[in-house]
Amino acid sequence: MASLFRNSLRTAAASSFHAAPRVIARPAASSAFLRASLFAARPVSAQPRVAALHTSQPLRILPAGPLNDAVPVPEANPTNGSFHWSFERLVSIALIPLTVAPFAAGSVSPVTDAVFGAAVVIHSHLGFEAMIIDYIPERKNPTARKAFMWGLKGTTVLVLIGLYEFQTNDVGITEGVKRFWKA
Amino acid sequence: MSASLLSRTALRSATTASLFRPTARALASVATSQSAPPVAGKQAPNIKKFEIYRWNPDTPDKKPFMQTYELDLNQTGPMVLDALIRVKNEIDPTLTFRRSCREGICGSCAMNIQGSNTLACLCRIDTSSTAPVKIYPLPHTYVVKDLVPDMTQFYKQYKSIKPYLQRKNPPTSGRENLQSIAERKKLDGLYECILCACCSTSCPSYWWNSSDYLGPAVLLQSYRWLADSRDEFGPQRRMALENEMSLYRCHTIMNCSRTCPKGLNPGLAIARIKKEMALA
Repeated sequence: MASLFRNSLRTAAASSFHAAPRVIARPAASSAFLRASLFAARPVSAQPRVAALHTSQPLRILPAGPLNDAVPVPEANPTNGSFHWSFERLVSIALIPLTVAPFAAGSVSPVTDAVFGAAVVIHSHLGFEAMIIDYIPERKNPTARKAFMWGLKGTTVLVLIGLYEFQTNDVGITEGVKRFWKA
Repeated sequence: MSASLLSRTALRSATTASLFRPTARALASVATSQSAPPVAGKQAPNIKKFEIYRWNPDTPDKKPFMQTYELDLNQTGPMVLDALIRVKNEIDPTLTFRRSCREGICGSCAMNIQGSNTLACLCRIDTSSTAPVKIYPLPHTYVVKDLVPDMTQFYKQYKSIKPYLQRKNPPTSGRENLQSIAERKKLDGLYECILCACCSTSCPSYWWNSSDYLGPAVLLQSYRWLADSRDEFGPQRRMALENEMSLYRCHTIMNCSRTCPKGLNPGLAIARIKKEMALA
């Protein structure tokens, strides 16, 4: 028994890490969707995937170059960085009084209604944008990323047009919500 | 003189000890320095199961699997690392994991125990239940073998934030860079980080985007240098984070602060970076 272990130890020591694995283990279970998209190109094995534990092809997340080099720092662009973050917070904070105002005032003004509608749409747009950036990584699915981003832009424009129509030709958002609530 | 006396005394006491315990070397090779001394036949064995993630790069086609080991807790030290060392020494020498200091200062034995990332040396074996202790490598890392994750990307990211003091000119006094007590206090809760990667690998944002998002550990370190009064490159450090991926993938999920085995708060450090970047 002991000699058996010693033998396997020797083999483990003999094969260096750099030469060895083309397949690499990952401990956590990722979603079926992710796994499907990751393995669509090169199936690891024909066996059915029964357990959460699995091996995967290395995804080459490491940029080329020596292992001891730092990862490259992306180009600075505050529009995508701190300005974007501050804008997100300001819109979120502004939504609180805008939501309460018509009910506190007891009357509906078309101006506050319009501002509220625009703020809600911007808020949702930023939220969905963050979700797309998080879950549809550009490095794996550049086409899907592009498609989703344009889809989001199109949807935002459509919703804005719809709200404009609702605002000008119908009762408006606040009144609409009120009636829906009481219906 | 006194030093040589001291060392000679120490040497003598060591020799005496080995005289009285001739099996000391044999015991040392077992390396369970913290295991309780065996009580011969007095106590009923307190068996605990340990389910440990196994994967061997030499057999890459074999899927990772969970292997169960049984240990008598009366013979084992209190921490999960004690149990791992006992398994490796006495049951299965092929079990592979990193460990070094066994006291929570090196960060080597970071792994996922009972569902949360922690240091095996700081995590007590749960004696309140009979359920097996489940041990996995850090989640969403590439596994080198068994419980050993590949930390390359993590270290490359750490390097990218320039984790060292940067100054335009050396201090005029020609001596150290001085700092007031109040300024030094700002580094408390930041300098203690041992870069075990428990927080980064518990962060969903880091799971999905570890190639671009720096993750809580590296961002905490980034703030450690931003908060340092002696560092003169704050604006440059902030500019390096001015993009949508490096910093702003943090959505304050706060798994980092919940899991930190050193009790630090990377979430707060990231929030402070965001505040500085918004206001500075």
